[in-house]
Amino acid sequence: MSKAGRWGLIALAVVVAVAAFLIARPGDDDGDSGNQAASTATSPTATAPSAPKPPPDGPTATVIELKDHEPAGGIKDVKVEKGGPVRIVVRSDVADDIHIHGYDIEKSVAPGKPARFQFDATIEGVLEIESHEAEHAGKDALIARLVVEPS
Amino acid sequence: MIQIAHGIVGRSDLPIPEWLFGWAAAVVLVVSFVALAVLWPEPKLSRASFRPMPGLSRVLHSRPVDLLCGLLGVFLLAVTVYSGFEGSQTSTANFAPTFVYVIFWLGLVGLSVLFGNVFKAFNPWRACGRAVSWIARTAARAPMPAPLSYPERLGHWPAAAGIFLFAALELAVSDGDAPRTVAIAALVYSVAQFVGMALYGVEEWTERGDGFSVYFALFARISPWSTRDGVVGLRVPLASLADFRPLAGTVPLLAVMIGSVTFDGAAEAPIWTGIAPDISDFFQTLGLSPEKALELTFLIGLVAAIAVVYGFYMLGVRGAQSVGGGFTARDLSRAFVASLVPIAFAYVAAHYFTLLLYDGQLMVGLSNPPFGPVASNPLGEAGTDIFGTVDRSIDYGVIGATSAWYWMVGFVVVGHVAALTLAHDKALTIYSDVKLAVRSQYWMLAVMVGFTSLALWLLSQANQ
Repeated sequence: MSKAGRWGLIALAVVVAVAAFLIARPGDDDGDSGNQAASTATSPTATAPSAPKPPPDGPTATVIELKDHEPAGGIKDVKVEKGGPVRIVVRSDVADDIHIHGYDIEKSVAPGKPARFQFDATIEGVLEIESHEAEHAGKDALIARLVVEPS
Repeated sequence: MIQIAHGIVGRSDLPIPEWLFGWAAAVVLVVSFVALAVLWPEPKLSRASFRPMPGLSRVLHSRPVDLLCGLLGVFLLAVTVYSGFEGSQTSTANFAPTFVYVIFWLGLVGLSVLFGNVFKAFNPWRACGRAVSWIARTAARAPMPAPLSYPERLGHWPAAAGIFLFAALELAVSDGDAPRTVAIAALVYSVAQFVGMALYGVEEWTERGDGFSVYFALFARISPWSTRDGVVGLRVPLASLADFRPLAGTVPLLAVMIGSVTFDGAAEAPIWTGIAPDISDFFQTLGLSPEKALELTFLIGLVAAIAVVYGFYMLGVRGAQSVGGGFTARDLSRAFVASLVPIAFAYVAAHYFTLLLYDGQLMVGLSNPPFGPVASNPLGEAGTDIFGTVDRSIDYGVIGATSAWYWMVGFVVVGHVAALTLAHDKALTIYSDVKLAVRSQYWMLAVMVGFTSLALWLLSQANQ
């Protein structure tokens, strides 16, 4: 193959790659890919269509019930978009301290006195929510995960 | 779901979205076929010229710089051990875990790739070894040869074992990030290095047996910096890898390097979080405590990931062997092992660079003697804030999730291209016939595409 032919192939590959990127990329707020109209309503990363999103300003809070420092119904993901409000209520049948990593918010919980968390999702990523009492007892401390996706 | 302390601050990355996964995989394939199209017929990398920089070299190798770097290394090791034993036992409030797992283990990988083998200058074990041998030499007024010559069979095996044990401590031991555990591990590792140096000589052991030295030196070969006849100079990046001479145990070492990151990625993915509880329950029925059962489960996962990586590479080697040329599988596995180094770098970079960016910031506050925030430190009364940074928290704004995704995918794709380049160049060196060289590369190409797809898949599976 001639040198020009080879460079031509490389150029073609780059063009194909860029085109594929622009087509595959879901529209974002810059709207430079021209297809944002079709995809503004849905988040590209939403993998659990069954979990309805709470209305942006609604009073809906995610409730986590703890029985002996363990979440009833297993460890769940609390999904929000960046910038949106996070509302989590933790109830527990025993006294505990609940810690949301990353945001580093810690609140106490006791029977009849739920811990209420309310803040804006400013940090993206998967943040662990832990029971400090379970951690001290050498048990699995994770009770839920806060999943903050890019908006 | 089971989780062993992951990271230090309890934050992990979002999975890359499906469209980005698909796009990146397509780019990898396109790049691979383009690589086949533009294959150059003569080896280039190993013939790359070396531009010596005698001035810089004199400064870097001068006695004061040498001494200062060594002392700093020993000082940091001492601080790690001291704060591990004496400081707060909360991981995030102690100097030792963040320093060892983030600054040393991850930060030095980045520094090595950018600036060459910097760890050699700061290596605390080498510094101690040289100091002791200098004293002994001066006292005896005669050169002190090592009692044993380094056995060829040993090769990189001690290094592979060292890195494996470190990975097991990080990924499988449930209190592996506890400050005291880190301090004990640092002491045990130090003792092992001193024994190795005493038996085989300081430089001989450091270059082959010291896991961390070998690990960082391998990544440093990606960088344009290299040393020839004691003079520091510049070469084309990757050229030093083309000249790399593998030893016994080098292939297993690379399998440990790639396999441990693979396991850490898979441990966040449904494939592992789905089966781990079952394995753990099984061990509990055999009478193990829940904690021990979990540790054993993770250890098995780690070994399995390493075995898969090793097996997959050897499969590709068998394929390349089948095209002819009269090489044994061992010859070929060693010939192409250097091309796994950029892949190992891509794995580490894609998987850990946000951890380095975020958790690394903890170091700013933890650097105040006695190396932990005053409030949570048992040495609180003695606590200082000499840098005025003790209450500094992590700024998560340094990089957003979307840019992090592009960086991750970028690392993986660039690592793939580097691996292909090295493998092809090596094939031209070892095969007398260009046609055979090219045919052997279909197999290596398949291996690289496999590793790269695995890396992308792991990124798309994380924390699902």
